[in-house]
Amino acid sequence: MAAGLDRPQVVSHAQQALNYTLFDCKWVPRSARLLCLGSTARGSGLLQLYELRGGRLALLREIEKAKPLKCGTFGATSLQQRYFATGDFGGNLNIWNLEAPEIPVYSVKGHKEIINSIDGVGGLGIGEGAPEIVTGSRDGTVKVWDPRQKDTPVANMEPVQGESKRDCWTVAFGNAYNQEERVVCAGYDNGDIKLFDLKTMSLQWETNIKNGVCSVEFDRKDVNMNKLVATSLEGKFHVFDMRTQHPTKGFASVSEKAQKSTIWQVRHLPQNRDIFMTSGGAGSLHLWKYEYPSQRSKKDSEGAEMGVAGSLSLLQNVTLSTQPISSLDWSPDKKGLCVCGAFDQTVRVLIVTKLNKV
Amino acid sequence: MPVWLREHRWRQTASAVYLSLPVRGLRVTPANIFCTDRYLKVSIPPFLFEAILYAPIDDTNSTAKIGNGIIFFTLYKKEVAMWDSLTLATANKEKLQYLRENAVLKAHEKAKEETEAKKVTKQEHKKYALEATMKLEEAERKRIEDLKEKERQKVTEELELWKKQQDAAEKQKRVQKEGQLHQEVVQLKEKKQEKINKTRIPNEGTSETRIKATKGCRGSYSMFSENLKEEQLPAPRSTATIKINFTSRVFPTALRESRVAEEEEWLRKQAEARRTISDDLAELEDLKEEEKNPDWLKDKGNKMFATGNYLAAVNAYNLAVRLNNKLPLLYLNRAACHLKLRNLHKVIEDSSKALELLTPPVPDNENARVKAYVRRGTAFCQLELYTEGLQDYEAALKIDPKNENVEKDAEKIRQLIQGTTQDS
Repeated sequence: MAAGLDRPQVVSHAQQALNYTLFDCKWVPRSARLLCLGSTARGSGLLQLYELRGGRLALLREIEKAKPLKCGTFGATSLQQRYFATGDFGGNLNIWNLEAPEIPVYSVKGHKEIINSIDGVGGLGIGEGAPEIVTGSRDGTVKVWDPRQKDTPVANMEPVQGESKRDCWTVAFGNAYNQEERVVCAGYDNGDIKLFDLKTMSLQWETNIKNGVCSVEFDRKDVNMNKLVATSLEGKFHVFDMRTQHPTKGFASVSEKAQKSTIWQVRHLPQNRDIFMTSGGAGSLHLWKYEYPSQRSKKDSEGAEMGVAGSLSLLQNVTLSTQPISSLDWSPDKKGLCVCGAFDQTVRVLIVTKLNKV
Repeated sequence: MPVWLREHRWRQTASAVYLSLPVRGLRVTPANIFCTDRYLKVSIPPFLFEAILYAPIDDTNSTAKIGNGIIFFTLYKKEVAMWDSLTLATANKEKLQYLRENAVLKAHEKAKEETEAKKVTKQEHKKYALEATMKLEEAERKRIEDLKEKERQKVTEELELWKKQQDAAEKQKRVQKEGQLHQEVVQLKEKKQEKINKTRIPNEGTSETRIKATKGCRGSYSMFSENLKEEQLPAPRSTATIKINFTSRVFPTALRESRVAEEEEWLRKQAEARRTISDDLAELEDLKEEEKNPDWLKDKGNKMFATGNYLAAVNAYNLAVRLNNKLPLLYLNRAACHLKLRNLHKVIEDSSKALELLTPPVPDNENARVKAYVRRGTAFCQLELYTEGLQDYEAALKIDPKNENVEKDAEKIRQLIQGTTQDS
């Protein structure tokens, strides 16, 4: 038992029962507040701002919007402004100032169908370059927006004319280590993962992982792309080593089958990029650590550089709920503090201990 | 008839009776001895010894020792008394029988009771064992819970501390910034003149108005820092589109590995269903893949009908019917061709077949049915079977009362019929 207790423990700190379907929850940067967004029973969108007080969550503000909200991010705003970008069921991208939420700061009907996933880069004092937001939608397109340019996206990844569309389920920014470089990674429901280089405006890499891709995330958005985790249906996830791209084989990867159910989300710990948490369809959370191989790249038979994938170890797992945990966010300010929202209409604040010793 | 053993000897004390029974040369096992509180029997076929005891004995404690050709019984009396004789002197055969049966019954009951008692004790032991293990597990669980609880409390305290630090830091920052605010107002007014031409962020407007309503909100000083930063940010990217292709997938649902086998099976079955049913027609081997497809053949037939090549159209429809004789449209179209070719009997045949296949009559196949009736009606009229023709036209009208052509033709036929009946 003693050996077991040296591992990181997932401690439940506070939880709140909600009366609407929760789709996403995010920490407000530099504070102990969090935002929950979702869809009420009457078909409208709801944004709630909570503050962590003692062992409880206290509701500070509640904002209702016309369409149900699916996803949101703080990624593209500055630390002073802290504007929140949301994607909703009607395909609208809105950026809200939470102090004055009646009229959005930026609004565009970006997609014909629901925006499934959103990510922001260039804000919060992380990375360099223009702040941009990427949205992925059920209409099969991935669009990159600049809040300074109205109405049209700065990049649009859409299917060729006549091609039948596949739902885009997840998007993520990466490789934003200087002002010019940036990549967008998108995962689709037919198992496709596509990597778009925004500097050259081209498709850099694509692959198919044989199961619909639920969530992709780079371990860090603002460094030379290092690792990419893609989770999928059927309980599988893949970790790609993004440092070395082979001309034909692409990126090396290691995959793990953690559980029988869908892995809904993956989130890397902001303070340690080799630790990440996956949330599953059976209401469980798994904490993983990635170990690098002794040599990250090697030469293949033709002399081309090929990446070598490392290994994964499970640090801890815990089952919190019977319903899928659909959203997960680490606090960027306190190591180990995270919030997760599940389809049992509860938002839970958890603390993962002993992450220093890992 | 058993052989009675009578050479027994006995002696008694106040509390016990000692009986010795010689059994020379016989093998005795405990099963041969049967004893209740009033009756004792030793049965080693064909030998038999029985004694109906003078007074009751304590049969559970009494013992029998087998050895050396003798069985030595030690029977403890229930009542301390001296017996007059070992056995009761009863000559009555019936009484003997009754006593024997009674003894057997008693023995049965005793046996039953013993098993019951054993069961009960066994259950109690089990229960006890279970409770003991449960207690142990409970203790273990509690220990783990306590450890976790301690962790939780420790972490909660740390969190509270951190929160307080955050709040303090924020307050400090706010005070600082508000001090800076006054200083930078002048600076900014100068900068504004320069920056009139540059593109503005839409939210700049709102942040300006909020300056007036300072309430310590975070945005009040943002305008300044934003303007400074704006110069460092690159311009928005030039718009571009990347065209992508998806890995093809027939089904609109998401791809799951566990379902791939089922999906392949389904697709294979669909493909087979479209292929030719009859493989033994030799000519079909000459045809290309598409020529085996009834739908393609129907299209070909339609095109040829449109260009006026009715014989070729009929050929196409014939082949299509050979491949799949369940499609009503093939017969319908072939009827139209035959009508143009004036093969009137064939028209009637084909329209009838089409109508057969167009059951059940639903709004979806209204058009098709109307056409079938009209074509058949026309054929009948051209064969001068006007009454049948009229019947078909009226059926067509029933389905589609608004069709003027059908109405007109029906009228014409009625006139014709009335004309002929009048004549004759």
